[in-house]
Amino acid sequence: MRHQDEMLKALTRRQLFKRCTTGMGTIALASLLNEDLFAATPGGAMDALSPRQPHFPGKAKRIIYMHMAGAPSQLDLFDHKPKLVEFNGKDVPAELIKNERFAFIKGTPKCLASPHTFARHGKSGAEISSLLPHLATVVDDVCFIKSMHTDHFNHAPAQLFVHTGSQLQGRPSMGSWMTYGLGSANKDLPGFVVLTSGGVQPDGGPALWGNGFLPSVYQGTQFRSQGDPVLFVSNPNGVSPQVRRESLDAIGDLNRLHLAKAQDPEIATRIAQYELAYRMQTTVPELMDIATEPKAIHEMYGTEPGKTSFANNCLLARRLVERGVRFIQLYHWGWDSHGTNPNDDLVTGLPKRCKETDQPATALLKDLKDRGLLDETLVIWGGEFGRTPMNEARGGSKFLGRDHHPHCFTVWMAGGGIKGGMSHGSTDELGYRVAEDGVHVHDLQATILHCMGLDHTKLTYRFQGRDFRLTDVFGKVVEKILI
Amino acid sequence: MAAVMAWPALAAEGPVVFVRDIQPILKQSCIECHDAKKHKASLRLDNQKDAFRGGETGKSILPGHSKDSLLMKRIRGEGEDDRMPVKKPPLTEEQTALVARWIDQGATWPETADGKIAAVEIHWSYVKPTRPALPKVKHADWVRNGIDAFIAEQLEKEGLDPSPEASRETLIRRVSLDLIGLPPTLAEVDAFLADSSANAYEKLVDRLLASPHYGERWARPWLDLARYADSNGFEKDAVRSMWPFRDWVINALNQNMGFDEFTIKQIAGDLLPNATLQDRIATGFHRNTMINEEGGVDQEEYRYYTVVDRVNTTATVWLGSTMACSQCHNHKYDPFTMKDYYRLSAFFNSTNEKLTKGADPHDAGSKLTVVESPEAKRLEAELAKLKETLKAELAGPTSKPAKDQIAAIQKQLDAARQFNSTLVMVEMHKPRETHLHVRGGFLTLGETVTPNVPAFLPKLPTTRPGDASLSRLDLAKWLVSVENPLTARVTVNRFWESYFGRGIVETSEDFGMQGSRPTHPELLDWLAVEFMERHWDMKAMQKLIVMSATYRQDSRTSPALVEKDPSNKLLARGPRFRLEAEMLRDQALKASGLLSQKMDGPSVYPPQPDGIWNTPYSGERWVESSGDDRYRRGIYTFLKRSSPYPMFTTFDATSRESICTRRTRTDTPLQALTTLNDPAFIQPAAALARAVVRGGGSSLNDKAAFAFRRVLVRAPEAGEVDRLILLYQRELEHYQKDAKAAAAMANGGLGNPPADLAAPELAAWTVVSNVLMNLDETLTKG
Repeated sequence: MRHQDEMLKALTRRQLFKRCTTGMGTIALASLLNEDLFAATPGGAMDALSPRQPHFPGKAKRIIYMHMAGAPSQLDLFDHKPKLVEFNGKDVPAELIKNERFAFIKGTPKCLASPHTFARHGKSGAEISSLLPHLATVVDDVCFIKSMHTDHFNHAPAQLFVHTGSQLQGRPSMGSWMTYGLGSANKDLPGFVVLTSGGVQPDGGPALWGNGFLPSVYQGTQFRSQGDPVLFVSNPNGVSPQVRRESLDAIGDLNRLHLAKAQDPEIATRIAQYELAYRMQTTVPELMDIATEPKAIHEMYGTEPGKTSFANNCLLARRLVERGVRFIQLYHWGWDSHGTNPNDDLVTGLPKRCKETDQPATALLKDLKDRGLLDETLVIWGGEFGRTPMNEARGGSKFLGRDHHPHCFTVWMAGGGIKGGMSHGSTDELGYRVAEDGVHVHDLQATILHCMGLDHTKLTYRFQGRDFRLTDVFGKVVEKILI
Repeated sequence: MAAVMAWPALAAEGPVVFVRDIQPILKQSCIECHDAKKHKASLRLDNQKDAFRGGETGKSILPGHSKDSLLMKRIRGEGEDDRMPVKKPPLTEEQTALVARWIDQGATWPETADGKIAAVEIHWSYVKPTRPALPKVKHADWVRNGIDAFIAEQLEKEGLDPSPEASRETLIRRVSLDLIGLPPTLAEVDAFLADSSANAYEKLVDRLLASPHYGERWARPWLDLARYADSNGFEKDAVRSMWPFRDWVINALNQNMGFDEFTIKQIAGDLLPNATLQDRIATGFHRNTMINEEGGVDQEEYRYYTVVDRVNTTATVWLGSTMACSQCHNHKYDPFTMKDYYRLSAFFNSTNEKLTKGADPHDAGSKLTVVESPEAKRLEAELAKLKETLKAELAGPTSKPAKDQIAAIQKQLDAARQFNSTLVMVEMHKPRETHLHVRGGFLTLGETVTPNVPAFLPKLPTTRPGDASLSRLDLAKWLVSVENPLTARVTVNRFWESYFGRGIVETSEDFGMQGSRPTHPELLDWLAVEFMERHWDMKAMQKLIVMSATYRQDSRTSPALVEKDPSNKLLARGPRFRLEAEMLRDQALKASGLLSQKMDGPSVYPPQPDGIWNTPYSGERWVESSGDDRYRRGIYTFLKRSSPYPMFTTFDATSRESICTRRTRTDTPLQALTTLNDPAFIQPAAALARAVVRGGGSSLNDKAAFAFRRVLVRAPEAGEVDRLILLYQRELEHYQKDAKAAAAMANGGLGNPPADLAAPELAAWTVVSNVLMNLDETLTKG
């Protein structure tokens, strides 16, 4: 048996070397012949992910974007409005809501003061709600943009707008643009990874990390916390690692025999992709195994191995950053504080979401800083729109809540070329509209690309006769918040 | 929302693009006197070569030096000579600056722009195709039909020879996959190999074209164009019942409905005189648009998006045109105006439908038609019979078991009825007024427009008193009129793309000025004319292509050919590229014998991992189908737009939110993980293992060859069999030592195997089958 084994191996190798000189040649050829780096051909697939130079040196090398799906209330977390206390329970001024459309509010709503208290923190004196005690300790590393505004007031379109620049499905997401522009720094992992928590997927669904019209190598890969972290990364029941290795050896040998005959360089690409898949079968479970982290780290993040949580995802984000993954997108659902029941109101529901996220998000910033990674890692935290300064009181609900509000909201950023310890822009005294230094979603996108060394007007892709970009035809880099 | 294009050249800096910025100026102000006819002062500005050569007074354009270029001096009126143009108003300041900047930036004038300058009307695709004469070629004995003459002509120009014909085994696999989307059975292969008649191949082709699987295979690309899905899209993404439209497409293709009729019914079947139920179902084509049911959505706004989507889709599918650009402004490259855009939109602006919250796809009232569901019919009969049988019991004191029995059937009936309606187009009695939308904005209404087709294309053949009465039916007939220069070309090009991996025009979605040039322009026209003269007979066109010598070539390449023609544009060899998503799964099911033959009906839920469907505010769950329904062809797999079937997505299928003209073809490690580990591929591997052990012959050699042929169709070479046996023996040894692993692998998700089959053998053959299903040759059409 063993003898036969060796003999056959020698045979196939000999055949390979004898008949495959051209075949081996074509393996090298596969990359040389790659006419268009971005061609969506199998030949282009691997090189399409090789690292590329940015338009200009960017401060950030990678991004962690924490999207708080459902839209957290800026008025109860960051944007303190004492005037709302004065107006609490009174009709909102009629001129503010003239011609306004709301998702749920009907008639004339009443103003609503925050049920939570605010205090100043750090050298920068940032005003933070009592719901975020952990974030309060790192405000000097954070830039709060309080004048964000968007065009959409429903979750799915607004989330798509933030991540793809369009409210309609079918455009490439920010992470796809990023890996298209810069490639990936890790050959054994996808360049764009998505992690979700909060019980359900974000409203916009997988279109939020879709590649749109870009080649599908640029789509985000969702790492799942239950079952296989990457779909089908585990061997089927009954297949041991050894059986898998032996299967792949057989696949490789037979493919090489075929390559010698057909001489198509795309066969060489496929052989390489199978080997990469094999390596992912090891690297992905290793990466996902947070149990190996020291106790102090678990205490800092509040992680529990084996659980699905935002905390676990924050720790995974750091592990992905360490491995050179370009764009890490976290989604945590549950911020839709309408006040229709205790779980989605401002008094008990919102504090729960804060409790789930405040400590780990802060721990991630600290941990990155401790490891000297924060300077090169841009961290972003925010929702898809803001919430109304008025109580929604849907159907006469007694729970306090706020409706969707596109006119202003807060996003914070840290690291990767962003000035820490500052606040940018402001809203009017009722927190209804932006008062100064408005930052539109397209401006935020332009700024994020800028931090990565990409000019948002130059990162384009031609589709159906038009050069598309993440920022459509809009977007201005917010210079004031850059280092 | 205003999605307007960026025109950097209009700003003070940014690159000037010749076709976009300069050519229109030359056309407007210079060409009249400086063309081939007049060439005043011996200067021509209608093509690159002559323009750079200059005229009587010397070179007119000095790239990089606008100040010294004669062209600029004349435009500015510097020096003694007349300011140009003499017979027309001078260039505006902005135009003058633009020309200067173009020269300073290097005066790039692509030769490909030539010929477009005199008038855009002459862009090749806007001229009605005429039948070109077949070229005379040296390889005359190779030529089987007209296609080959055009291909050979190009090859000869490039100094290349066509490849020899592929082996019969290769051919039957290739043509079976292409025509019915499934590999042949061993019996079919053997019959073909044994058929020594001269027309053996033609008989094979005819058999495949007559197969009901033909419609299933060719419906797939059409459903990508139709953006067919089983859910509404957007956040709520509720389930909808559109499968009657999918079945209509499959049936129409199988009946070989002419492409003209196929078009008319889908665009305007409801407006045909005496429209049948099937004619109305066909109009589901344009009801495949998404529906947004989120709170606070403006119904009118989303209705507008729907109309926009219908215009864009119609323009892409039939005209190969990127009309979407003219939603916001006149098209910058092609002669579509904004007015054209909104006139076209007027055809679609008067349907009666609710597109936002409360749009109940099961409400049979306003816009739905009820489809006979055989399942519901059967259950109705069963229920009636049961009620009759249990009559006595129902009246008695112990009626509960009888009542439960009836309730169970009633529940099934309700479920069956849930899917017996579908969305169709219904025209309002009084049409809506259609406006131009300034910069494409939903709220910025401009002038009113009436329905009509783009002005530069052939006029509508129907003349009626007053534009307003033109209907979708007029539009539909116009799309497939023989005067239309685009529809036939665009359609045959998509056929070609399916067979050869790329269209004669690579940008099959864009035949305009910005689209790619055809690799074989005369062939394209020849095929288009052929298509129309054969009365839009789709099967005839498929046959024409697969009967050609071009199609039948061996797909082997060589380093020299790879270097000369890496993407096989010239077709010096047969097509070779990865199979599409649905076909990969169908192939594995067919090779293993698991594939269900069942056609039609509501979409099914094959096994998929937990947690894929998990959206907010939705209780819908993927409940795996039972029995045969797990192994139906991919075309019947339920498509939820927000969470499509993951295996398909991994292999480049789209989520059908909007039209997809051509899928990208990628090669990623996630694909390898899928075909190695997804139950959709493990189950077929386990099933094939059972077939091998039961009927694969007595020797290991026979068994390995049997498995190989079931998957790859061709007979293996000795080295290949040896390698498989080596693997088999290793794994057998392994599974003999590990009974638990052997049992798991022999089960393979199919359930425990029959007791008379030994688990270690089955497990080892399952590994071999899995390897076979992962070979490049298996994943590829070669």
